[in-house]
Amino acid sequence: MTPVLTVEALRVEIPVKTGLLRAVRGIDLAIRAGETHGLVGESGSGKSLSALGIMGLLPARARRSAAQLRLGAVDLLALDERAMEDVRGDRVAMIFQEPMTSLNPAFTVGAQLTETLRRHRKVSRGEALERAAEMLTRVGISSPRTRLAQYPHQLSGGLRQRVMIAMALLCEPKLLIADEPTTALDVTVQAQILRLLAELQRAMGLAILLITHDLSVVARVAQRVSVMYAGEVVETGAVADVFARPAHPYTRGLMAAVPVPGKVRRGAPLGTIAGVVPSLVGEIDGCAFRARCPSAHDACLRLPPMRSVGDDRRYRCHLPPEVAEARA
Amino acid sequence: MTQAEAAPPILEARDLSRAFDVGQGMFAPAKTITAVDGVSLALRPGEVLGIVGESGCGKTTLARMLLGLIAPTAGEAHVDGRPTHALPGRERARLIQPVFQDPYSSLNPRRRIRDIVALPLIAQRRFTAREIAMKVAAMLDRVGLAPELLDRLPVQLSGGQRQRVAIARALVAEPKVVICDEPTSALDVSVQAQILNLLADLRRDLGLSYVLISHNLAVVEHLASRVAVMYLGRIVEEAPVDALFAAPRHPYTRTLLASVLTPEPGLGIPDVGLGTTLPDPTNVPPGCRFHPRCPQVMEVCRTVPPPRLTTAHNAVECHLFA
Repeated sequence: MTPVLTVEALRVEIPVKTGLLRAVRGIDLAIRAGETHGLVGESGSGKSLSALGIMGLLPARARRSAAQLRLGAVDLLALDERAMEDVRGDRVAMIFQEPMTSLNPAFTVGAQLTETLRRHRKVSRGEALERAAEMLTRVGISSPRTRLAQYPHQLSGGLRQRVMIAMALLCEPKLLIADEPTTALDVTVQAQILRLLAELQRAMGLAILLITHDLSVVARVAQRVSVMYAGEVVETGAVADVFARPAHPYTRGLMAAVPVPGKVRRGAPLGTIAGVVPSLVGEIDGCAFRARCPSAHDACLRLPPMRSVGDDRRYRCHLPPEVAEARA
Repeated sequence: MTQAEAAPPILEARDLSRAFDVGQGMFAPAKTITAVDGVSLALRPGEVLGIVGESGCGKTTLARMLLGLIAPTAGEAHVDGRPTHALPGRERARLIQPVFQDPYSSLNPRRRIRDIVALPLIAQRRFTAREIAMKVAAMLDRVGLAPELLDRLPVQLSGGQRQRVAIARALVAEPKVVICDEPTSALDVSVQAQILNLLADLRRDLGLSYVLISHNLAVVEHLASRVAVMYLGRIVEEAPVDALFAAPRHPYTRTLLASVLTPEPGLGIPDVGLGTTLPDPTNVPPGCRFHPRCPQVMEVCRTVPPPRLTTAHNAVECHLFA
């Protein structure tokens, strides 16, 4: 089956005062229908810029290049801005941490939902309202007719998140890019929104690229995960494998840093990663993680190879699998 | 009874309440919301009291009253046996200090790190410039900041470094109590771990007591010795951390704990069964304030406020245990 999204060697570069900021340095991704792929990393790792690069929504001065960027059979690299506008909101949609990024405070929920639908589908205003109300019901909003007449500020955070999801899924896209969709929400609401996304995914066969810094969210909802560090994917594979035996020293460091009730002894020091992320301006020689890596050695001055381990798990490191696994 | 429990509390809230008038628009009458409604709690020396609850439950208003930053509309907050709000600012600052969530907005952007950390000492008006410089340098070293950062501005520091500055500023005047309001929520995972480790070390080495306010239950479980669960302005359950996590009693505590995600693949997303009604502080339900969302609601819960049932170590407000 062809993946819904194919990304090969995606790069995003932004000219800054001191040179060229290489924010995304050649990442590969493939996401299949019905699959959730978690893209994890810390601030500045390039995960959000990767998503904006895929969507064609980068800031004007940023430059994007890729060997391949396909949505199903459509070559996104060949589309001009107008053609890309037709694709966005129709075959691929995006949701954000802050719903007000997508919702316009000056228009009612109904006006915004129907505009999205009528932009991409030939339907009358009445039909569009009908479909919008149906979609609100599907995302678990009661009395949808009342909600359609309301403005975003009249809704609670959890409800706004649901409206944004409804708007994103209105045209039944093939791919949903969700950038920290539950980070600003309370834990109880987070659980509800994640369950809702999973239900809609099953019903629609949606592929989801889930961008988050939260390893727990990825562990619970994604089937595959890619870990980003300094603009690169340093490890990728099935969630169960990567969490059970993280191979890259950065992945291991991240996992050791999370307090887990019942697993990490109370009050015991948490694992930390010494040092800071390197500057991404200019070229990085060798392994970008080596200054912070507990296993760094002479070989790390050279660019590490992408190694394979087990079933389609890969990681970018000089340590061979047997050594990496032994240290896990 | 352990020694900590025998000691008098270093920080105490006695039936603390705070109401706010909120405008409803130009022509509507203002409405009163009670953000904190009759909260009593005690922090004993060396303890870490975690306060958990969802947005709008009043935990930040409670923190501001404990710090003496706002006056309660009823009840009293005490620190070291004296009423917090009536204490002169200088004395209060020597007893209790805050560490806030956002290290980007809680530091003055125009001041050098050296001056930011020195400010609480200057305000004390009992140290020479030389003493202040020495204390500042020692404290920055203690929180793991390199001396060359002394002359930088906050904007030149990373989020984790800024939170270390905020901690240094809070601790430089050697307070007895630190109120940490979401101290790691704005930080990346690996930085969060460093700050949590630092807070734990400092508490042990300096004999501090913390109130740790967080929506992250894993963080609270890791650091706290006791936990209070807030819902719409009231503490609905309080217990030692082991007991609370092993055997939560209040239905709200149970759903809150059930909705915590851990990095364990294959467990899926829990069904918290709370429905979509969210707590609204402008419209507190009659009876038990949790009843519209409670999976175990009974007839009595709709009209009668639940009694507070206390034992030596626990408290719970729920009709199920009456």
